Amino acid sequence: MMKKNRSLREAASAIPFLLPSVVGMIFFSLLPIVISVFISLTDWDGLAALSLGTLAERFIGFGNYQNILGGEEFWRVLKNTCYYIVLYIPLVLIASLGIATLLNKGKKGTAVMRILYYIPVLTSWVAASLIWKWVLSSQYGILNQLLALIGIKGPEWLTSEIWAMPAIVLASVWKDMGFFGLFLTSGLASIDKTYYEAATVDGAGRIKTFFKITLPLLTPSIFFCLVMALINAFQLFPQVMIMTEGGPNGATQVMVERIYNYGFRYFKMGYAAAFSWLLFIIIFILTSIQMKLQKGWVHYES
Amino acid sequence: MKKRRIKTMLAAGLALIMIISLAGCGGGGSAEPENTADTDANTTVAAEAASEAANEEEVTITFANFNASGGNEETLEEMYLAFQQEYPNIKVDIETIGYDDYFTQMQTRVAGNTAPDCYELNIENFAAYAAKGVLAEITGVDFAGINETALSAFNVDGKQYGVPGSFSNVVLIYNKELFDQAGIEYPTDDWTWDDVQVAAEKIKGLSDDIFGIYAPVTYNEFFKVAAQYGGSLLNEDKTEFTINSAENIQAAQMMVGRIVDSNVQPNSSQMGGMDDWSLFESGRLGMISTGIWAFGTFTEECDFEWDICVEPGGTQKATHFFSNAYVINADSDKSEAAATWINWLASSGEAAKLRIEKGWDLPAITDESVLSAYLEITPPENRQAVFDSLNYLVTPPIIEEYSLMSDIITGKLEEAASGKITAQEALDQAQAECESRITLK
Amino acid sequence: MNRKKTLHNIGFYAIAVLVSIVVLIPFFWMISTSLKSKGALMALPIQWIPENPTFSAYEKVFTRFPFMRAAFNSFLITVSYTLITLISASMAAFAFTKIKFPFSNGLFKMYIASMMIPTQVTLIPLFIIMNKMELINTYPSVILPSLFKAFGVFLLVQNMRTIPDDFMEAAKIDGAGKFKIYRIVILPLCLPTLATLCITTFMESWNDYLWPLLMLTEKKKMTLTLALNSLNGQYATEYNVLMAGSLLSMIPIILVYIIAQTQSKKGSLEGGVKG
Repeated sequence: MMKKNRSLREAASAIPFLLPSVVGMIFFSLLPIVISVFISLTDWDGLAALSLGTLAERFIGFGNYQNILGGEEFWRVLKNTCYYIVLYIPLVLIASLGIATLLNKGKKGTAVMRILYYIPVLTSWVAASLIWKWVLSSQYGILNQLLALIGIKGPEWLTSEIWAMPAIVLASVWKDMGFFGLFLTSGLASIDKTYYEAATVDGAGRIKTFFKITLPLLTPSIFFCLVMALINAFQLFPQVMIMTEGGPNGATQVMVERIYNYGFRYFKMGYAAAFSWLLFIIIFILTSIQMKLQKGWVHYES
Repeated sequence: MKKRRIKTMLAAGLALIMIISLAGCGGGGSAEPENTADTDANTTVAAEAASEAANEEEVTITFANFNASGGNEETLEEMYLAFQQEYPNIKVDIETIGYDDYFTQMQTRVAGNTAPDCYELNIENFAAYAAKGVLAEITGVDFAGINETALSAFNVDGKQYGVPGSFSNVVLIYNKELFDQAGIEYPTDDWTWDDVQVAAEKIKGLSDDIFGIYAPVTYNEFFKVAAQYGGSLLNEDKTEFTINSAENIQAAQMMVGRIVDSNVQPNSSQMGGMDDWSLFESGRLGMISTGIWAFGTFTEECDFEWDICVEPGGTQKATHFFSNAYVINADSDKSEAAATWINWLASSGEAAKLRIEKGWDLPAITDESVLSAYLEITPPENRQAVFDSLNYLVTPPIIEEYSLMSDIITGKLEEAASGKITAQEALDQAQAECESRITLK
Repeated sequence: MNRKKTLHNIGFYAIAVLVSIVVLIPFFWMISTSLKSKGALMALPIQWIPENPTFSAYEKVFTRFPFMRAAFNSFLITVSYTLITLISASMAAFAFTKIKFPFSNGLFKMYIASMMIPTQVTLIPLFIIMNKMELINTYPSVILPSLFKAFGVFLLVQNMRTIPDDFMEAAKIDGAGKFKIYRIVILPLCLPTLATLCITTFMESWNDYLWPLLMLTEKKKMTLTLALNSLNGQYATEYNVLMAGSLLSMIPIILVYIIAQTQSKKGSLEGGVKG
């Protein structure tokens, strides 16, 4: 009896802490999401005034889902998106880990560098895309000029079907590595110095310390970055819209780009909603797998 | 020390939030903006003055547009002041929004039932909005003075759903110096694409870096060039697609051939990331098929002499018609006032004069005397060609699924332009895809 | 020993400088473009140093729209947004990690799942909800959504999970209630992460465009980002003004970044053994 009371009281104490967040969630997240499920079961055009009546009129059950899964476009853009992810995730994690480690040395000039590395994150994609269009220009861009210095003939980046996606990956890594680097830096900063002291006492070298102590203790932050990077990568959008518009010849068409076009240009919002939910399912499954696997490699201190 | 810092931060934060919520709640809760909130200079309260054809009571309408963004907001304000002289009891709350996200925003507002009383749309969106019944028929105003063809573009099934706010078209702009160097005559208004091809090859021959012509291989260009060869994308009553008709194929082959066969037009890798205007401005392009809105930029950027002529035809001439429409929200209860405002913007002499004076764009009116002011601005010398082009206007085929159709066709044409497939294959595939994905009424 | 150290130093600085250059080249182009007059904005090959550098673009930024008013609005909105996020997310994270309650796992999973829906499809429903709550054209419409920030909660959960429960036990023995534990024990330990969240939230809210566009319909409520984007026209964009404006609007975020970084450094130095 006593135990039950205590656990009830314990549970109740959570309420004030959760209240603001959960209230926000219900109104600004849950409700719209539930509505979007209904939308996905209709052929609403996204323009006629939205109401229960409108939705009921245009109910088509799972028609959208059938059309999407049965067509070739969904699988093609899924493939493109995966192409992006497979290139982007390792690169961005390694780059941001590198930056975080570099910044953690505490040498002179670190403060300045911290700001410098974060600047790409602060630029809007509008500005960044314009900039990168120039960098990637096959004839006049810096990238190919630099490659030429070491004797490589750079590809025609944004106008090549094979190299357009890697080009987008490059621009995205440039822009995001400061972002993830920031989290890894604060993760590194939270590692108790006593561990390092113990390691020095034990006579461990720099590399050994890194792999045996730093990396394992950093795994919660790395895990966070991995999950967020994956969720964001699946939702790749502004760069593609501005730099390549899905070209050339559909090589950079990705899921959210299709969703946007269907919802806001072709006036097929129901279809777009169904598309989003399929995307959601994919991301959900992958993230759940990640969550399950975390027990294998992520070290929390408690 | 830190604890106190956090405490003060939290306290300040809470205080700030409270202040904001109070301010926010007081600042107006609905989408209908109040008169007093505006910095409008003309808050005439004495609106009893009855003017020529307007109502007695004061009415405030909301109006959204994108055309004024990027430098013309002041001109729009001046137009409003002039409008107020004529109709002092109609107040207009003007919103000017950047082009890029304008349509996402407008669609959201229409779906959310908070769209303004009247607003601007481009052709792409007009087709869909009109077909889906979210626009009101424009009645009770006199369209006299508006260019017929322009007006007809926004007439669906006999009902007028939009008035052309302004319009532009596409002409052939050429670099006089390159023509001189190649020793050929300047293009004239009765050139055909065959003449262009000959000239382009001579100019291309001047140097590896120089190209003869640039005309975009996109849907927008294609439907017009197809018309120049007597073809069209849909049949007469818009019940069937005729994308891969023989005439259309001829047109597409001409467009694509310039890039893929004779290479008088640069392909995308030869462009190297530069856009077509920059290529022309750098003096490396002999001719460019582009809109009259380029005049201002070319005047500033080109350090060579250039001029224009009516776009060459195939078997006949056909010129492009670009226009934005002003439309009325079907749910608006102030449609009369809204109709007065947008019709005034589109057809009144004052608005037209301001438009031309400030170098904004062309009003879609027929009054030659007003338009003559446009002719006096040079370069280019041959501005008359702009008006001559009006004789051959073709309007795009307005169907409900306009965006999807134009995307499919542009996609296929791009593939042909990059040499992946032939022009014929592109049109055949576009025909098949449009047929399977779009249902025509 | 000394030689090894100098080699290490050289290597370090070499890499650091290299990375800096890579990171900054595009940024230099931004600055260069902002100093160009209307001409030759997009010419290739890239003109690094403008022929006639001018501040005309910056002039236009200040005169084309009410810059100070827009900046004020941006500040108001962004600061409130960030504060609410920090408070709400840290409280929720505390509950998730340090309090046992039923369905805690399920609720947390819902939080993470909410990040997997592209915003394009929830845009219109959310808009309608805001409309029904009569919040359109009010500051709360852009500020209140900060109550729910799954990203922030996730970040702080990861951080709080690394705090050993012993600290809590020690505080409980001292007789501290949940809120006191939250305030005195947990928050200070999360300072670096809170600083990080502060920066990213500030940046996200400052640069947000589509939502303020939909919600703030009055000119005098316009944010800086909104004002800057009104510069793109149907046929041409004044790139030099756009770049000038973007650069100017980056300054506040950089300032916040610097401040937050110094805070976070202080926090990490004091270590976690306190308590």
